[in-house]
Amino acid sequence: MTKLLITEITRMGPAFCVIGLQREKEKIRSVRPVTATANSWLHFPYRRGDVLQCDLAPFSGSKPHIEDRVSTQGFQKESAVPEPEVVTFLRKAEMAETLRELFGCALHENRSGGAFAKPPEATRSVCGTVTQNLRLELYGDELRATLVLSSGEVLRDLPVVDRDWRDFLDAALAENRGANRVPRLERFLNSQFHYKVLSCPHHFIRLGLTRPYHELCWLMLDTLIPLPKHEWLEEF
Amino acid sequence: MGVIKDQAYWAHLVEECFRREAGPQAALPAPEQDLIETGALDSMGWVSFLRALESASGINQLGALLTQRTPSLESIFEVIRETQKESTADVFDTGASLAAASTDRAQLPAILISSGVAVGSRTVSSEDIDRAFGMPPGKLRLRAGIESLAYAAENENELMLGARAAQQSLRSVACGAQELDWIIATSETHRGYPSLSAQLHSQLLARETCAALDVGGACLGLLNALTVAQGLIASGHARTILVVTSDVHSRILRPGKVAGEFGGLFGDGASAFLLRAAASSAPPFSYLLGEFFFGCAGQYAGAIKVADSPNGNLDVHFDGEALSRAAITRMEKVLVDVEFRSGIARTSVLGLATHQPNPRLVTLLAKQLGLPTKKFPSVARTFGNLGSSTCGAALDAILQGARDPLTKKPGPIFLASLGPGLLFGGGWLTPA
Repeated sequence: MTKLLITEITRMGPAFCVIGLQREKEKIRSVRPVTATANSWLHFPYRRGDVLQCDLAPFSGSKPHIEDRVSTQGFQKESAVPEPEVVTFLRKAEMAETLRELFGCALHENRSGGAFAKPPEATRSVCGTVTQNLRLELYGDELRATLVLSSGEVLRDLPVVDRDWRDFLDAALAENRGANRVPRLERFLNSQFHYKVLSCPHHFIRLGLTRPYHELCWLMLDTLIPLPKHEWLEEF
Repeated sequence: MGVIKDQAYWAHLVEECFRREAGPQAALPAPEQDLIETGALDSMGWVSFLRALESASGINQLGALLTQRTPSLESIFEVIRETQKESTADVFDTGASLAAASTDRAQLPAILISSGVAVGSRTVSSEDIDRAFGMPPGKLRLRAGIESLAYAAENENELMLGARAAQQSLRSVACGAQELDWIIATSETHRGYPSLSAQLHSQLLARETCAALDVGGACLGLLNALTVAQGLIASGHARTILVVTSDVHSRILRPGKVAGEFGGLFGDGASAFLLRAAASSAPPFSYLLGEFFFGCAGQYAGAIKVADSPNGNLDVHFDGEALSRAAITRMEKVLVDVEFRSGIARTSVLGLATHQPNPRLVTLLAKQLGLPTKKFPSVARTFGNLGSSTCGAALDAILQGARDPLTKKPGPIFLASLGPGLLFGGGWLTPA
């Protein structure tokens, strides 16, 4: 049996992609449980910070998704750790300070600034980093993040796939929230968001790579900690 | 921006940008077709297409304007029509408010809507500075009126302080950095590359099509930056501009490198101001930029000179007495000119945001002008001379005062500053 601390739950269309941390001797590394037939889970009733027992096949996925492990049984929740502690563990796993270190390869950009890696070059598909600044934006109805790493390098227009943040945005734009929902949300993202997220002592992000698509793996914002709180909706 | 173009132009532009994303052979979808649902573009392609269109058209925030609309060409044309309508309305609004702008130069008046300040987080007493520079204890306090200096901590620099002031300014009016069209920075101490404005651009996460510009002028830098910003807004090239000043003297003007009588006057700090094109309704507590004027009194050029010497040291020529006399005379003249040009009596202003070489000179200037010293916010006394940020810190203090519920009616503000050369400049702000 493997003990997995759940750190990522991301939205992939109607399903969820899950990543957790596994201790292996002195090292802590990321592991992505997948089913025998798919990379994502249609039903995943757990939360970030949950410690799950599971059975994982001992072979890795193909580059750059080397963290893939086939789950041969269901999950069983054993315990849960609070958010700051999750970040403590994340900081001990894959970390980078520069763009090049993120996935162990050069990153490229398309004409309008979107960043991608080439699958044969990338050596992993998930990595944590510290940001100097981060901005979320609703752009053409898509949630996008722009951020600056501690090296001063900027990543633009990253799709935000973090399940909790996406749920929060959906809740913020729900029809029962009254008029001017978009400007109210934009106002929140331009002001309170910074106080709540960037001033949080355990602020942390994890970036991931999509599965190869037309031979490119696009960067995405997998996890943004702190996770949003439902009561924040009352503030805007 | 601000230029009305015909339908054929937009159709061509949209088609070009779409083909850049979908490929040159791709058929142009029907206007009402949902581009993502029908697979014409995936979500990455959709955002990329909008960014390309935004960049080519100059319509900023195109993506934001499309939120909660079907991702289709029809929606894009709808947004273009709306922005074109707004541009036309701006022209009419401008016509109506020109008189209030009290300037016939400006096409679109600029308003200052928010501000922020950040000073070095280490407070050092003037006696400690005296000691560090090998001067008799009490010299700075007695001769210059400086009680303490704000010094940058180890992890603070021009970028950190400037970004902190900028964030304050942006957040106070819930303005996202993606709304900025230009970032104009000024600093008399930042010497590296990328330039300060470029670093601020990255740090604040402005959008790629936001321009970044550094202007000089040393202590006059803020006024230089404001007049550039005003010009950009007036010409219709920008709607939202962030002006940032940031100076960290304590790393350059160190004991052993320069004399204490000069180096001991300076502290570290930053200020930021958000400017917008005036629309029909201005946010509360915003100020309309009046006229700015500038000049150079070369007869005082020798009073202060700072240059890199071949051995890597800083070569400073500082004639304190001559500079003090010149500063007082010239600032008084500038402020009298501001009064004359604006038609606003100096006694009616809410405050004067001026350069403050040291507190003693501010007191003297107030006396010369027959004004109470409280009209000049105290910056140099507690933080030291902050270079280009002195005037900024003073302006911020006055603007914060205008928001004070005890302030009956926010009044106009006079600005005046000097830089080595001797450069001088002045201007005014009036409640919008």
